[in-house]
Amino acid sequence: MPDRSLPAIKRVMEPTRTVPRREIFKVFFIIGATGFGGGMAIVSLIERYCVQEKKWVSLEEFMHGLAFGQILGPFSLNTCTFVGYYLRGVAGGIAAAVGFIAPSFCLITLLSWLYFKFHELPQLQSALKGTNPVVIALIVVAAVGMAKSKVRNRSAWVMALSAFVAAAFFNMSALLILVAAAAWSLARAWYIRENA
Amino acid sequence: MAGIVKLALIFLRIGLIFFGGGYVLIPLLHRIMVDQLHWLTLTEFLDGVALSQLTPGPLAMLATFTGYKGGGVVGALVGTACIFLPCTALMLFLSSRYERLRSMELVKAALDGILPAVVGLVVAAAYTLGKTSLLTVRDFVLLAAGFGILQFTPVSPMFVILGAGTVGYLFHFA
Repeated sequence: MPDRSLPAIKRVMEPTRTVPRREIFKVFFIIGATGFGGGMAIVSLIERYCVQEKKWVSLEEFMHGLAFGQILGPFSLNTCTFVGYYLRGVAGGIAAAVGFIAPSFCLITLLSWLYFKFHELPQLQSALKGTNPVVIALIVVAAVGMAKSKVRNRSAWVMALSAFVAAAFFNMSALLILVAAAAWSLARAWYIRENA
Repeated sequence: MAGIVKLALIFLRIGLIFFGGGYVLIPLLHRIMVDQLHWLTLTEFLDGVALSQLTPGPLAMLATFTGYKGGGVVGALVGTACIFLPCTALMLFLSSRYERLRSMELVKAALDGILPAVVGLVVAAAYTLGKTSLLTVRDFVLLAAGFGILQFTPVSPMFVILGAGTVGYLFHFA
């Protein structure tokens, strides 16, 4: 009965807990529906749900995904795809991406229809004024958590501060900052290895 | 039909050269949609940008708006799918190599070395957003309340964000 023993072996090798794709879709749908404030606000939401609450990925893996996500397209969507892939492979990645895009797609299609019919924007400005400060709070909470676990010595503080200044005051692109940081870390690791 | 194919190709091309996030997309889409193809007037384009900022989701959802103008609901769907296809494919590819990359000693050192820079970028986003939207005492009160709730209670951020939006809407924040 060799055929019967095969699934048994396979089951042992699979992770002990697989997240259903439906669950992935649902969580990213909620993130997509409440992701006001764009990029980093959405990333903070993903961190909150997927790292803190569900413990689907570790903070470190999550931040790697965020760094990869800076390469092409919106990094918020890319981080969703990364987490989805991490959980369930290609199908999980697509479930996360589609779940994330679906609510804003429906909303914008509806509002576009209204807009091109009546040529008027909905009065959402005041609602947005209310969410903005809270969204900033969300980003700050995520940043505090990340700093607590990943910025623990002087050289890490120097790098975090340099990246902040470069992005906030010199408008340098995130991708460029990360490439520079990676080059620096690589050179350092190389130096340590050669001189060890 | 020919129109939809053209729309698909245009958005695929934009998706392929869309390096560096949402704010690169605005001048790019402006040049293509307003100046070259005349699918949108300048006013419509600017209203589209405002609409993408008012709604949740990434700014790149501007593709849905321009796609809608170009070809209705089908155009919106095709435009959205095509603009996100390249970055999603790249991300799936990178994710599939992630475990192997991370097992290489030097790559791991580089990946872990950039984490403080990522923290700096997150703080920079909060700073940039705060500079334009924290203007009155009321905004700072909401910020403090939001921080307190999100940091010290397990209340879902969904309720916090939607609640703050309702407060803004009901009290007619100007």
